[in-house]
Amino acid sequence: MTEVRVRGAQLTATEATATVGTASAVPSGRRKPRHPGRHVPASRRWYKWRIWLPPAVTFVIVAVVWQLLALANPYVIPTIDAIVASLLRDPQMYWVNMLVTLQEVVIGATAGILVGFLIAVVMAEFEIMERAVMPLFVVIMVTPIVAIAPALVVAFGFGMMPKYIVTALVVFFPMLVNSLAGLRDVDQRTLDVMRTLHASRWEIFRDLRFPGSMPFVFAGLRVALPLAIVGAAVAEFVAAGQQAGLGSLVTIAAAQANLPVTWASIVLLCVLGVLIVSFLALVRNRVLWWSDGETVAR
Amino acid sequence: MPAQQQHDQQRLAHEAMPLDEGGPTRAPLAGAGAGSQAATEAAVQAAARTGGVRISNVSKSFGTDESRTLVLDGIDLSVGMGEFVSVIGPSGCGKSTLLKVIAGLTDADGGEVTVDGNPVSAATKNKMIGLVPQSPALMPWRTVLDNVTLPMSVNRGANGGRSMRDPVELLESFGLGHAIDKYPAQLSGGMQQRVAIARAFVFDPSVLLMDEPFSALDEMNRDQQRMGLLDFWQSNRKAVIFITHSVPEAIMLSDRIVVMAAHPGRIAEIIDVDLPRPRSVDDYATDEFRDLEGIVRAKLRAVMEPGAADAAAGGTGETR
Ligand SMILES: Nc1ncnc2c1ncn2[C@@H]1O[C@H](COP(=O)(O)OP(=O)(O)O)[C@@H](O)[C@H]1O
Ligand SMILES: [Mg+2]
Repeated sequence: MTEVRVRGAQLTATEATATVGTASAVPSGRRKPRHPGRHVPASRRWYKWRIWLPPAVTFVIVAVVWQLLALANPYVIPTIDAIVASLLRDPQMYWVNMLVTLQEVVIGATAGILVGFLIAVVMAEFEIMERAVMPLFVVIMVTPIVAIAPALVVAFGFGMMPKYIVTALVVFFPMLVNSLAGLRDVDQRTLDVMRTLHASRWEIFRDLRFPGSMPFVFAGLRVALPLAIVGAAVAEFVAAGQQAGLGSLVTIAAAQANLPVTWASIVLLCVLGVLIVSFLALVRNRVLWWSDGETVAR
Repeated sequence: MPAQQQHDQQRLAHEAMPLDEGGPTRAPLAGAGAGSQAATEAAVQAAARTGGVRISNVSKSFGTDESRTLVLDGIDLSVGMGEFVSVIGPSGCGKSTLLKVIAGLTDADGGEVTVDGNPVSAATKNKMIGLVPQSPALMPWRTVLDNVTLPMSVNRGANGGRSMRDPVELLESFGLGHAIDKYPAQLSGGMQQRVAIARAFVFDPSVLLMDEPFSALDEMNRDQQRMGLLDFWQSNRKAVIFITHSVPEAIMLSDRIVVMAAHPGRIAEIIDVDLPRPRSVDDYATDEFRDLEGIVRAKLRAVMEPGAADAAAGGTGETR
């Protein structure tokens, strides 16, 4: 996997900048500050449109170009109004299919995240385990998921199970690699302090390795969750028509050359991705308020 | 005698010591009845024999067979209870390695280290060693208070029969009362290092090991932290082994200064600092202080002369 620099949402990065300038404004409650760095002073409000305006302009330009191209090539891509009309004509159908895909992503990704993290814990604690099983995981990783998906459908049928498995598989590896890096990346001097206190392995994990790994875990999630949507969609392509889902919808509509439905489904897959990534950024802000947000995913 | 019991007994003897003068062996016992005096004196003497840190003939080398370098060569040093000893010497002479051996983080190749009569492994099991590393090494996700209470929440088996300090009181005496609920990132470097020192004091260890704790601070801050530590230690005597690059710092804080030479790391000289306690900033200006500074600097120059490269890289820290 190529290196991806993860900074969270754009908004997050700027909020972090604001924190530096207003350290004294951070509330000091008995427990952790509720929203450290959320406070943006009036003098900095003008920053807000600097955040939103550039991407907004980009989107408007893309939409205009799209519309012009669609008007010129009516049999290749649909116009924006046709997509919107399709969404409004049968919102119930889209909603049901979106929920199915969301379910696959949530269940599959949760399984992949948990298994990836747990195996990373075992590998971090027992180095021999990494040497023993990492090559196997690398082999699984380099096998194209589009090739695995049909085989899984044959093995597990047309139900939800192969979709969960494909989604979990896609999420598993980036979670494993990043969690392992995070669990290994302990501050040596803090570790020295704990070892001098004769802290047990469990105490070192509980108090140092686990919380310390979170920046890497979230960097891994930032890579893994968008991939989870890819995994779910690919699994649906393979078994299209047997089960609902936005991926199935894309395949069926494309086969019928129904451009508005095809593209409306694609748009909804995008929306799903944006929602999941935004949700992740939200959770990250809550959990990882103490980190500077510059962890690089591998 | 079980290690913990012995430890406590020595702690008692230690606490009877006056704060302002004398090492543990010279201390008259306050409030000891005439009848029990002989017995108590014997206990104190026994404690003096095994108490504090004893380092005898410790050696350590790194590397594989062909390219083995001797880093510590036959180190002998005793630090009594309530004694403050600084270690100074060129970079790479093995100061940190020595500290790691005492802290049980690195095994020596030969020799013996005891803390209050216990081998290092037993001493760490009983939480008898407080470590202050070169950087504060605080957990950024914990408040100042939760960082300081870390030593109490791990290895709880060693908490029994120990007089833990009240962490809030301790932080207040370190001038951190207002920062108890803050996070490390909200504190200055000097304050963070004070938190790290409080974390090492809080569980009342037998010995404190500090590896250049103030080296990352600017000079103004550094002097402030140094005097803060001095004030605190002068009313809470512990055995301390304190590594520093600063000659004035070593003199101001210490009862003795160990000057180390490099390649291989060894003790070149131990210089007594007989300035009266309690000391304060005024002592910097005294003739005795200046004389000592001259002596320590001359010794450091002598130690660093043979290897010019070492002298360039070593740098004895600041010039006053
Ligand atoms: N883990 C290690 N492996 C190999 N060499 C080491 C290790 N730790 C320290 N050394 C070497 O031992 C020497 C002494 O190091 P150190 O104790 O850190 O010196 P100091 O603290 O006095 O500057 C140095 O030459 C260093 O390179
Ligand atoms: Mg060092």
